[in-house]
Amino acid sequence: MTTNNVSKRILRRVPISGFLVRVLVTTLIVGGFMKYFGVSIGALGQGLAYSLVGVSVFITFRILQFPDLTVDGAFPIGGAVCAALILKGTDAELTLLYAFGAGAVTGLITALITVFFRVEGLLSSIIVITGAYTVTLRVMGARSNIPLLGERTILTPYQKEMRSWLIENYGREMRRHSNNLVEIIVFTMVVIIVLLVLNAFMHTELGLMLRASGKNSQVVRSFGVNHHLMTILALMLSNGLSGLAGSLAVQQFGFADVSLGFGIIVRGLAAVLLGEVLLRPHSIGQHILSAAIGMIIFDVSRAWVFAALELPTTDIRLVSALVVLTALAVPNLIDRWREWHKRRVVNRRKEQGQLDVAAKAR
Amino acid sequence: MLQLKHVSVTFNEGTPNEVRALQGLSLDVKHGDFITVIGANGAGKSTLFNAVAGTVPVDRGRIILNGKDVTNQPEYRRSLDIGRVFQNPLVGTCPGLTIRENLSVAAMRGKHLGLLPGVKRKNNEWFYQLLKSINLGLENRLDTDVALLSGGQRQAITLIMATMMKPKLLMLDEHTAALDPNAGALVIDLTVKLAEEYGLTVIMITHSMHQAIAVGNRIIMMNRGHVLFDASESERESLSYHDLIERFRSLQTGDELSDRAVLS
Ligand SMILES: Nc1ncnc2c1ncn2[C@@H]1O[C@H](COP(=O)(O)OP(=O)(O)OP(=O)(O)O)[C@@H](O)[C@H]1O
Ligand SMILES: [Mg+2]
Repeated sequence: MTTNNVSKRILRRVPISGFLVRVLVTTLIVGGFMKYFGVSIGALGQGLAYSLVGVSVFITFRILQFPDLTVDGAFPIGGAVCAALILKGTDAELTLLYAFGAGAVTGLITALITVFFRVEGLLSSIIVITGAYTVTLRVMGARSNIPLLGERTILTPYQKEMRSWLIENYGREMRRHSNNLVEIIVFTMVVIIVLLVLNAFMHTELGLMLRASGKNSQVVRSFGVNHHLMTILALMLSNGLSGLAGSLAVQQFGFADVSLGFGIIVRGLAAVLLGEVLLRPHSIGQHILSAAIGMIIFDVSRAWVFAALELPTTDIRLVSALVVLTALAVPNLIDRWREWHKRRVVNRRKEQGQLDVAAKAR
Repeated sequence: MLQLKHVSVTFNEGTPNEVRALQGLSLDVKHGDFITVIGANGAGKSTLFNAVAGTVPVDRGRIILNGKDVTNQPEYRRSLDIGRVFQNPLVGTCPGLTIRENLSVAAMRGKHLGLLPGVKRKNNEWFYQLLKSINLGLENRLDTDVALLSGGQRQAITLIMATMMKPKLLMLDEHTAALDPNAGALVIDLTVKLAEEYGLTVIMITHSMHQAIAVGNRIIMMNRGHVLFDASESERESLSYHDLIERFRSLQTGDELSDRAVLS
């Protein structure tokens, strides 16, 4: 009887133990990294390059609550500006700022169309994306692709040293990961700096007003601030970040391409959703960070699915969709299961109580 | 300090849904007035506030605030002088921001926005005292998301936000309707106290005839976009609760009669 009770209790406990779930998840992550090491660090570098797109989408969709698709145009423009300037001999580090500026101008145009012509945000950003395609081509000198072979990017100065360091310490076998490691280190630095600055900005007077404006523009107007200005500012900031991400991606790939931005908005949204669902952020800083991490999680887990199932790269879209779907569906199912389980326990207690009462009456 | 001259507001003009919410309404509010506004649902009371604040555009007429014609000024410019509590408790605060952040937004009224911290440590004591004055225990929940508060709590915070920077004109749209009787009475007392202390000019919409009589120095009854009567000083003194109810009744039955007359 007692052993039966104990085993029942354990069984009831096991599936909902948050600790066990965390252990399991950690094991899976570490295991995944060990098994697919090469794939993982490649995806990690890419996730870092794209992570600012997640932050960008977070600013428009979540802070401003403005459905802005301009990212699809700002990202390739940022990349194109970066590549064109590098070819001209501009410092690679400096091109990041120009890419941010180019993205910001793209966002500014969307904002102005929305504010002045009262066009819906979704529409005005589609108009801008359409036009931005041509601008990207122009920036790239009417070519659809600019290779950066042999040019100095923000990554190249460290690649040689990294290679020799790896060979020295870990043997020749590790040599092939050297570029990936450089990407991870450099992009992590860039992303951390950007996120720190952004977080600081969100806590300034301007940043606070911007957040308030997205939540309730009536309040902002009631306290003497033109909420349109906040919209303009947020769109510039958001798309500037996308432009910056575009320049990171271009330097990672080693080429710029007009089609680089295609469907990038979906990745940004996926990153925001994944970050929210998996990390459950509270403060604004946590939200910004989880949008960035969401992108990394997305890229890495997608790479694992590819590696595990040995799929051809042409399947990428379907895998992306399934990864996002899984990440959204599983926590939801867990929550529902918990709810159901709680109700069942309560019901059982009630029944037990009634039995006790009946026994007493007898 | 505030003049409305033949102000008309029409919604959905030229469509079957056309509503003439204000029909050539004129009003002269003097500095230091505390006006209570009563009137049936749909009389145009909230629309009057929206027209003054610039939330809805006016078709005809002029609005003059502090001697300046503000008829065509955008809402955010006029609001430097106007504090508002909305009928809908959800409109006056920002969900997703904490109480402290909301109060900080309100504290920026008329200030230049820069890169200084949005939430300032030097305001902590001030915010604490402000929240303490409404006695809802919110002074200990300054870092709670406003979205997690009840409608009444949010409305009380809206009142604080509207008054803390001492605007010249305060417009209250049934600001105690969402509060329980105790909190409601407290907030009314607070409103009167603040108005006196800061020397505010107040316009307060209410559906409580008792309240309309008990506070203020002037009563306005609105009906169908007009000011039906406007009682101040001695006239108001002699007005009793029952007079007011009587007038309200007669106004409604009168309308019904005329409606029937039109329809038949
Ligand atoms: N944004 C709007 N669009 C269309 N019609 C509106 C709008 N706002 C108000 N109205 C109409 O204007 C009229 C006056 O509305 P208003 O909100 O001013 O009434 P009120 O006196 O505040 O009533 P209550 O006591 O119910 O708050 C109503 O007939 C309403 O339907
Ligand atoms: Mg109303």
